[in-house]
Amino acid sequence: MSLNTHVYQIYIAASPEQVWAAITESEWTRRYFHTTSFVEPPQRGKVYRTVRADGRPAIDGVIEEMQPPIAGNPGRFVQTWHILYDAALEQEPPGRVEWTVENAGEGLTRVRLVHGDLGQSPLTWQNVKDGWVWILDSMKTLLETGNPLPRVRDYEDVVEAARS
Amino acid sequence: MQSVEQGTEVFRALADPTRRALLDRLFSQDGQTLNELCQNFPEMTRFGVMKHLSVLAEADLVLTARQGRTKRHYLNPVPIEQVANRWISKYAARFTSALVALDDQVIAGSETEESRRPESA
Repeated sequence: MSLNTHVYQIYIAASPEQVWAAITESEWTRRYFHTTSFVEPPQRGKVYRTVRADGRPAIDGVIEEMQPPIAGNPGRFVQTWHILYDAALEQEPPGRVEWTVENAGEGLTRVRLVHGDLGQSPLTWQNVKDGWVWILDSMKTLLETGNPLPRVRDYEDVVEAARS
Repeated sequence: MQSVEQGTEVFRALADPTRRALLDRLFSQDGQTLNELCQNFPEMTRFGVMKHLSVLAEADLVLTARQGRTKRHYLNPVPIEQVANRWISKYAARFTSALVALDDQVIAGSETEESRRPESA
């Protein structure tokens, strides 16, 4: 039951609106998120799908919540998370990824990421564990410096690393 | 808690062996309740465990999330990664390059002995 969820938190020197764009807009995601982009702009209640730069599928699911940060209220982006980038992981039931984006004062935004509903998905649980740390780190670096982390990691590296 | 102060908070939190043990417990079993964590430290009061958890939370190393009426504790690896990037990679990289330079010198010096370079790990 407890191997059901990962929780992460990071502070980024950018506005909540900028962080929100980095999570929900393809122009940003393809620069730090294993080159992935949304096939269609995500919309609340709709299915979504992300693909890699070469067109291979990455993730699909449903956007369950999409509330941008407005007037000091935290932004919430909740998506079910069905992995398509690996045949074994694709067989496991989808999890749920919840982003919360909140002003933390002094020019900082707090990003909390919860990847839950992984109780029946042990391979995914293991696979994404360290991957999210890298994604968050890369997103922070991109927003703060204008460039993502220098090493470009693809999903193959992540899958490989989690298995070794 | 914030980027500038985070290093200090993280090092302070990690300086205590009980707090490192708490992180190890969460690493092996993430998402434990306070009661579950306390069972691992029978010699310590509940209040003592809570105090250590609050220091870990201040450093952002432990996050809590509610699941119904249950409050669960999660290990957040992000600050450790940041400290590693800031402090450890930098010096380890220098150490590694020094070793590589030494290795090159040794090999250059022993070329006449036809010694073979060891297989890389």
